[in-house]
Amino acid sequence: MIDLNVPTPPPLIAPGDKPGEREPIAGVLAVAEAMLRQPRRVMYQLQQPGSGRLIAAMLALAILCLGIYGLIVGSFSGGTQLWAAPVKIISGLFGSAFICLPSLYIFTCLSGSQARLREVIGYVAGVLLLIGILLVGFAPVAWIFSQSTQSLAWMGFLHLLFWFIASVFGLRFLDGGFAHAKARTNTGLYVWIVIFLLTSLQMMTALRPLIGKAESFLPREKMFFVAHWYHNLDTESETKH
Amino acid sequence: MMIHSGILDVRKIGALLRGETGCIDSWIRQPRVGNLAVQLIWIVVGMGCYGAAMGAWRDSLQALYTALKFPLIILLTTFGNILINAMLAPLLGLNITFRQCLTAILTSCSLSSAILGAFSPLIAFMVWNAPPLTAAPAATSDLTHDAILLAHVLIIAFAGTVANLRLSQWLTQLGGSAAITRRVLFAWLAGNLFLGSQLSWILRPFVGLPGLPVEFLRPNALHGNFYETVLQICAHLFFPGHGK
Repeated sequence: MIDLNVPTPPPLIAPGDKPGEREPIAGVLAVAEAMLRQPRRVMYQLQQPGSGRLIAAMLALAILCLGIYGLIVGSFSGGTQLWAAPVKIISGLFGSAFICLPSLYIFTCLSGSQARLREVIGYVAGVLLLIGILLVGFAPVAWIFSQSTQSLAWMGFLHLLFWFIASVFGLRFLDGGFAHAKARTNTGLYVWIVIFLLTSLQMMTALRPLIGKAESFLPREKMFFVAHWYHNLDTESETKH
Repeated sequence: MMIHSGILDVRKIGALLRGETGCIDSWIRQPRVGNLAVQLIWIVVGMGCYGAAMGAWRDSLQALYTALKFPLIILLTTFGNILINAMLAPLLGLNITFRQCLTAILTSCSLSSAILGAFSPLIAFMVWNAPPLTAAPAATSDLTHDAILLAHVLIIAFAGTVANLRLSQWLTQLGGSAAITRRVLFAWLAGNLFLGSQLSWILRPFVGLPGLPVEFLRPNALHGNFYETVLQICAHLFFPGHGK
């Protein structure tokens, strides 16, 4: 017997079913616009043969956006951080994606999805691009705060908040791609999202400092990110007292 | 659309992971020498990468040793048990040939190797972020050791579970009912666990201890066995004064 109170979910429309979604994406700015306004168009194009150029454009734009945000992060301390922060943010996020990509492909296949490796790479490029674009959107706010406070912990929290919001939207794009790749379950994807977030957080700790100053480009002491945050908050409260 | 050519190609790793029935059925029903070679390569590369990431915490030389030893355990366990496994299958109701049995087990090992290989960058990153095994103070060392150990347990358990679930699907497809598949799988697992534990004991260390030198095998590798040691530990635990 059919329960009439339960609304029937609308049928899933595959990317490319709407006429506008089949239009090729030409130009770097068009990629950014499509990511924000027509993510399904990007998904459709990623499923097509010859999507390599689109992926390359997405990655190039992600590097540019993350570089701009890195410059804002580096402006808190100035000096060498003006170039070190962008380099670390770009290499950190790309490094995290590279480390986590093989496990994403494993989870994709185990979920029964028909997505090819290139498509999965495209979705990850989309995640990086969306994170980059949104961070550029947050950049003016971050810059104003970085010029008006001396608190390392506060700036760390703010950048973390912006990164988290941007990541949520970026990973939503990946979730959307998964939904259209005939995956039987999303459990693997959710596990992977946790792995990716933890890896990114640890990567940023491994490449510290991103905000403050240091004698060397990379830290000499190995530390897990929770221990690092605790240490920073402890140091900040000791300085105030 | 996947072409069911019967050739186990590296690019078909996705089909293996998805458990695509047509493709895997043709690989197992018509085993080929080429398939065997590709499966061996998968095991050596996947397990080797994971082993290297595991051993890297102790030393780069230990990474190399563990990269060699990890695939060795899988291959020695598979080939050491293949005769008895191939005999047990028909006895328990699954009428498959020796070659089909070997292909099914090796395909399952290839699958777990692919999963472990895919997770090896994560383990390598974790180990790279951990304080060196030789220099860490006691408290940090314990915490890091536990975190890394937990990650290994979760990843290896995940790879093993997925590989065995897929193996049970293939066995059911090969003509056995669910009950027969369960019996065969249990018998194979018991045999593999029995031999695998002893081989792991002989081939230790995989990470190593800071106080002991880095070496391929311990000098006392062939003294005693895994089960004897477990029994001794239990005896010390429950009868502390006994034997002193």
